[in-house]
Amino acid sequence: MSSFATILHKDLRLELRGGQSTITLNILSLLILTVLTFALDAPSRSSLLAAGALWVAMIFAGLAGATQAMVSEWENECIRCLLLSPADRGAIYAAKLVASFIFMTVAQITSLFLMVFFFDLNFDMRIVRLAPVLMMGAMGFASLTTLLAAIQAQIKTGELLLPLLTVPVFIPALISGVKATQAALAGLPFAGFAQWLKILGACDLLFLAGGYLLFEQVVSED
Amino acid sequence: MDNLSYLFAAYSIIFAAVALYVIFLWRRQTLLDSRLRSLETQLSEIRDGLAKS
Amino acid sequence: MKNRAGQNSIGPNWASWFGLLTVLLVSWALFMVFVYVPTEAEQGIVQRIFYFHVPCAWVAFAAFGLVAIAGFFYLRFGQKIWDDLARAAAETGMLFCSLVLITGSLWARPIWGTWWTWDSRLTTTLVLWLLYAAYLMLRAMAEELPQVGRLAAVVGIVAAADIPVIVISVRLWRTIHPAVIITRQGRHGLEDPRMIATLLVAFAAVTVLWIWLLMLRFSILRTARRLTELGGGLAELRARLSEQEPKRGRQILDLQSR
Repeated sequence: MSSFATILHKDLRLELRGGQSTITLNILSLLILTVLTFALDAPSRSSLLAAGALWVAMIFAGLAGATQAMVSEWENECIRCLLLSPADRGAIYAAKLVASFIFMTVAQITSLFLMVFFFDLNFDMRIVRLAPVLMMGAMGFASLTTLLAAIQAQIKTGELLLPLLTVPVFIPALISGVKATQAALAGLPFAGFAQWLKILGACDLLFLAGGYLLFEQVVSED
Repeated sequence: MDNLSYLFAAYSIIFAAVALYVIFLWRRQTLLDSRLRSLETQLSEIRDGLAKS
Repeated sequence: MKNRAGQNSIGPNWASWFGLLTVLLVSWALFMVFVYVPTEAEQGIVQRIFYFHVPCAWVAFAAFGLVAIAGFFYLRFGQKIWDDLARAAAETGMLFCSLVLITGSLWARPIWGTWWTWDSRLTTTLVLWLLYAAYLMLRAMAEELPQVGRLAAVVGIVAAADIPVIVISVRLWRTIHPAVIITRQGRHGLEDPRMIATLLVAFAAVTVLWIWLLMLRFSILRTARRLTELGGGLAELRARLSEQEPKRGRQILDLQSR
């Protein structure tokens, strides 16, 4: 537990001391939402498009963030020191996961505000009801990318590998997440999209368990 | 019922794809053959060298 | 390890027998599909695609299961043989998965009037194809790394564990695919017993075809790995000989030729 706290503390401190990933993620989200607003001709008050745009921004910003975090870890040989330390592999995984979850959440809050502006929606209860959906999505995505970015970081020519690996696996979470977001934006109560939340939760559990159990296999050295 | 071309296309694609994969396997096999042969010549070279010394 | 001198011959004999069996079964299945089975009343002649389409789908899913199982055994026991099996299964599975998608849209065009719809089974198969593609891309990019087997096994296991959630979520999303095997009323979609017989023969033929390709690919991968090991051994032998250790070198040579 203490190694978990130490690693998480280190990552957050690095970020606060002028780390770039939060800023990059936020600007990237802004860019993606801008592009989508133009591409979809959005200002027509369509909450369907808004839900999709939000998730596209989340996926691509999340991919970029995960790549950056893990690749720097490998480039500085930092991961080797971590692995030589007595820290449990599970604790390393959990710390990395929580750090990227926090960065993603920050970026999501930004893109949520941007979405309301760009797609001409209102700030009301519907936006509040989105919070658990988006957090569950970020949780699943972070647990998946933390595992898969550790794979990508070991492959020199594999810059584009992470989206290839992550997106197909994330599709069930994406389907249920977008559906739940659309329902929430349409003003339905939680009960109206409970089945989508259940699937999203199942995905989260699956990705978390898979990442926690398999992370050791990914980082261990022969 | 002029859909014969779809049926024909489907089955030709199936067997064309399988044939292409078999050709790919066959090329891999010949590659292995040549690797084995070069290893054999290397081994016999070493053996000859040892016999002389 | 088997006897190196005897059994390691390239192009094993079982393969030709199994290949003969494959050719016979596939010809039989083709005969049944094109000559024996009656034409289906509603869909007409295109329905005959179905007899190879469905077995290909089964093989694609089975191959994917094998990738995950072999990957699990590789992580558990660490023998390279499991890694080679997983790789062969992924390649052959990719082949059949592509065939499912292609034959499916060739059937859908005249029957549904469209090449592609976002129906649940089509979408699931497409996601499966994407997962295969990711797995094979990873293998291709990481080919030189010693840990490639472990990384690929992790991806294979995560992907296979993901399949139930994919199926559930996509099914909830939408479906219009015909439920051919058992319809909602509980009767077979295939009225004629000759259709069922044809489907069964096609299942056997496609499965045997897959196993044949799988075994061929697997044996090639095994042989390649052994040749690499032998090459490493030879290089080591040369190094020792050049270090003026003729005695030790001769011992190694004797060991190898035995």
